[in-house]
Amino acid sequence: MMKRLTVFLIVCLCVLIAVPSAFAGEAKKAPESKAAPTKAAAPAMKYKEAPVLAALVKAGKLPAVEKRLPENPLVVPADEIGQYGGAWRRGFLGPSDFNGVNRVIYDVLARFGPDGATIEMKLAESVTPSADFKTWTVKLRKGMKWSDGSPFTTDDIMYWYKDVLQNKDLVPKIPSWMQNKDGSTVLVEKVDSLAVKWTFKETNTNFLLELTTKDYGDRLYPIFQPSKYLKQFHASYAKKEALDKMVADAKFKTWTELYASKQSPFENPERPGMAAWTASNRISDQIFILKRNPYYIGVDKAGNQLPYMDEVQIKFFADAQALNLAAIAGELDEQERHINLLNYPVLKENEQKLGKYKIFLWSSPGGFDAGVIFNQTYAKDPELGKLFANKDFRIAMSLAINRKQINESAFLGTGEPRQGVPKKGHPFYPGDEYALKYTEYNPTEANRLLDSIGLNKKDAEGFRLFPSGKRVMIELSVVEVFGPYRDIGTLVTKDFEKVGVKVNMQIRERALHFQMRQANDLQAEMWNQDTAGFPFTGSTKYDFRRDLYGNLTYGPLWKQWYDTNGKEGVEPPADAKKIVELQDRAKTVGPAEQVKIAQELFKLWVDNMFEIGTVGLTATDQGVAVVNAKLHNVPANLTKDWPLRTPGNGRPEVWFFKQ
Amino acid sequence: MLRFIVTRLLLLPLLMLLFTVVVFAMVQAPPGDFLTSYVAMLASSGSSMDATQVEALKQQFGLDQPIYIQYLRWLESLVHGELGLSLEYQRPNSELIGERMLVTVLLALFAFVITWIVAIPAGIYAAMHKNTVLDYLFAVLNYIGVATPNFMLALILMWICFSNFGLMITGLFSPQYTQAPWSVARFIDLLKHIWLPAIVLGVAGTARLMRIMRANLLDELNKPYVVMARAKGMSEWTLVVKYPVRLAFNPIISTIGWYLPQLFSGSLIVATVMNLPNIGPLLLRSLIQQDMYLAGSILLIYCGLTIVGTLISDILLALFDPRIRMEGT
Repeated sequence: MMKRLTVFLIVCLCVLIAVPSAFAGEAKKAPESKAAPTKAAAPAMKYKEAPVLAALVKAGKLPAVEKRLPENPLVVPADEIGQYGGAWRRGFLGPSDFNGVNRVIYDVLARFGPDGATIEMKLAESVTPSADFKTWTVKLRKGMKWSDGSPFTTDDIMYWYKDVLQNKDLVPKIPSWMQNKDGSTVLVEKVDSLAVKWTFKETNTNFLLELTTKDYGDRLYPIFQPSKYLKQFHASYAKKEALDKMVADAKFKTWTELYASKQSPFENPERPGMAAWTASNRISDQIFILKRNPYYIGVDKAGNQLPYMDEVQIKFFADAQALNLAAIAGELDEQERHINLLNYPVLKENEQKLGKYKIFLWSSPGGFDAGVIFNQTYAKDPELGKLFANKDFRIAMSLAINRKQINESAFLGTGEPRQGVPKKGHPFYPGDEYALKYTEYNPTEANRLLDSIGLNKKDAEGFRLFPSGKRVMIELSVVEVFGPYRDIGTLVTKDFEKVGVKVNMQIRERALHFQMRQANDLQAEMWNQDTAGFPFTGSTKYDFRRDLYGNLTYGPLWKQWYDTNGKEGVEPPADAKKIVELQDRAKTVGPAEQVKIAQELFKLWVDNMFEIGTVGLTATDQGVAVVNAKLHNVPANLTKDWPLRTPGNGRPEVWFFKQ
Repeated sequence: MLRFIVTRLLLLPLLMLLFTVVVFAMVQAPPGDFLTSYVAMLASSGSSMDATQVEALKQQFGLDQPIYIQYLRWLESLVHGELGLSLEYQRPNSELIGERMLVTVLLALFAFVITWIVAIPAGIYAAMHKNTVLDYLFAVLNYIGVATPNFMLALILMWICFSNFGLMITGLFSPQYTQAPWSVARFIDLLKHIWLPAIVLGVAGTARLMRIMRANLLDELNKPYVVMARAKGMSEWTLVVKYPVRLAFNPIISTIGWYLPQLFSGSLIVATVMNLPNIGPLLLRSLIQQDMYLAGSILLIYCGLTIVGTLISDILLALFDPRIRMEGT
């Protein structure tokens, strides 16, 4: 008996020894405001504040609300005047999913509203172009402050321009929106402490649109940074020994890594921010907690300082299924990201049964949620490459797809058959004729077209043959990222085979798919078109020169042709060249002209079948919103998209829990 | 025996060095790197980076260096007793692993204890009452236990709990304790949640252990010394527990060391499905995201523990069974 006990003791001991540094220090305190209270001058309007903040003011730990707000606060429209308090519980999939947090805080100078088309001022009071659209003046709100109470001035923008953007260590290459056509950097000058002027060498009508995405999205450096705080981590300002020590202490190798981490609003809770909520711990913690920013610049119509909700709690889920289950159980107060459309019936059922939440369906500004793209510059098999480059072939393939079936079985009937253009009502909408072009299910016509382009011979199994006698066999690469792509891929495969085109569907891991896309190894792929609302800015998929990381496989060698000024690659067809010209022209004309160009571009896009859209306007990607029944002011109809930072464009600072 | 232990311990650093190469090569084996999966993740949520940005990040993460430089960088930090920096979390790996260590070990120990408490007595009972109704019942339960993937069991239990009681049984803590520092209240809260994942994790092991125990014991029960003892009038229960059970334990003891790496790694899929904050999901995720230093570090510790675990098994076996001690030197 004794021996058995010894055995157990030894096992236990070994386990204890094998546990190295089990408890690393994790206690992190929320940054406390250092600002001392000052006497308030008589305000123009009587502002009110959250009870938690009022208590701090009373205790002398925080200046009065009039002193914290800018002279001209942002007045945020809302259906109802809200009540203070509560925490907004959300879920995310870990630090790589940081864009989910960017969508919530939407920390920008100007932002999009719920309709996804109107731009409203946020930190900026105004953004004014010159008559020729070559200079743009950004005017800031007077007296606005960072979340630590320090003033936000144009110095914070100039610091970004001089010390971040143009620091080769931090930004090796100037992003294209800050470049003139000749490759020089756009000039940014300080006018005074409240105004900054951007001067472009060419006409630039997209500037305001660009401003709406210059937050921490995709880990880019925001164009305004808390310069006073961040200078201690910047090699141009900090003492070398002190900086080296900080780099070593944080186990980094270079100061740029330290800077990237310290300036991140999600990795460093001490970094001041401007959003309605700022971080109180790190994004790598189990629950990432954002707390109300006592200096947030927004008020409601009645003069109550926003936000209404005290906190945003973003819980880490190792797996999207677990997140979905939490949403079904009503444990998340507003969640659309990572909610699977296929759970819509279960959510609907529990909406009735539990009564804890309501379900909203939000749709995108257009495009399609699954489409087929053929590689028109495929080089490994010249016969196939030539076939893909044939417009009639692509039209035939579009006509061969039974879109109604895809909509019913893969999207639960929530979408509609369409091509990759904006939705009806959007100024860029080219008309029903183009949105629905080649979307009717017409295998007879598809067969006729295929016969007419020389694929009229068939083998014993009924599959079409090239004139050379080889079977037409297409590899369709499918990545399961945007929804039930495996199912859609299978349906499309069956449809194509019905008109005699043999398809070999390959489900691929995304990294491999990306690599093949870069290497011009894809024959055809299934992807989405989610940039229809913003064809000229950001990560547009309507420009053949964009990098293939984010772009599609319609013509990888066209890109090479443009990159090398025509020395290498394949010369694009006339219409593709025209698209590129339209892209360039759109950046130099006023908004009215831009609408015309956009419509022309979309018409060309559909006519040429650069992409074959199947079904769009579904709630697939972040469109099923589970909203706590007590949470008010959440728009039932919100246009969702990444450039809109949904749900950020739904103005979450006015959302509140009704008691 | 001592010499045997010392030789094995001396071999450890050399083996570990070898493992660093193997682990690093394995983590690097899938196509692409951390950035490709990172960019892909961004793409799947609507955004996409352009080439310049990807280049900048590549530089920032040191992924523009050749593979052997990346390996040497990692080795350098390992030599300094550190595990390097996680690319995804931008935090030291030792910190990330350390945070999850206690919960991981606790959960595994719980599962281990449940397994033993249930399996050993049941195994003994089944062997002593061979071919009775209860024995058959145990057998059926065993086959079900072994055949059900435990993540499946977890999903089913989660769904049953939710649809019948409206309970969410993911995670190991109530919301108010998730972030709190350790305290008695937090520990009690943990105990309230840990039993279910522990049972889920223990089911397959219990079934297997019970079958082994039963089979081993059956081998012993008919041996002459047992018959002899019985003939001498020794009470059946004392007899069985004192002699055959001890012998039947041997094969089980020899595998006990294998539990060590299992204790550490957590349960990959169950923990991910049930959203448990242990090392399992961290490893799975780092492999998917190709966060190579983090994945490499966890796998390396796993390798180290496997070696140590095997060694412990050998030592335990020697302690437990005098016959083995006498045979070797």
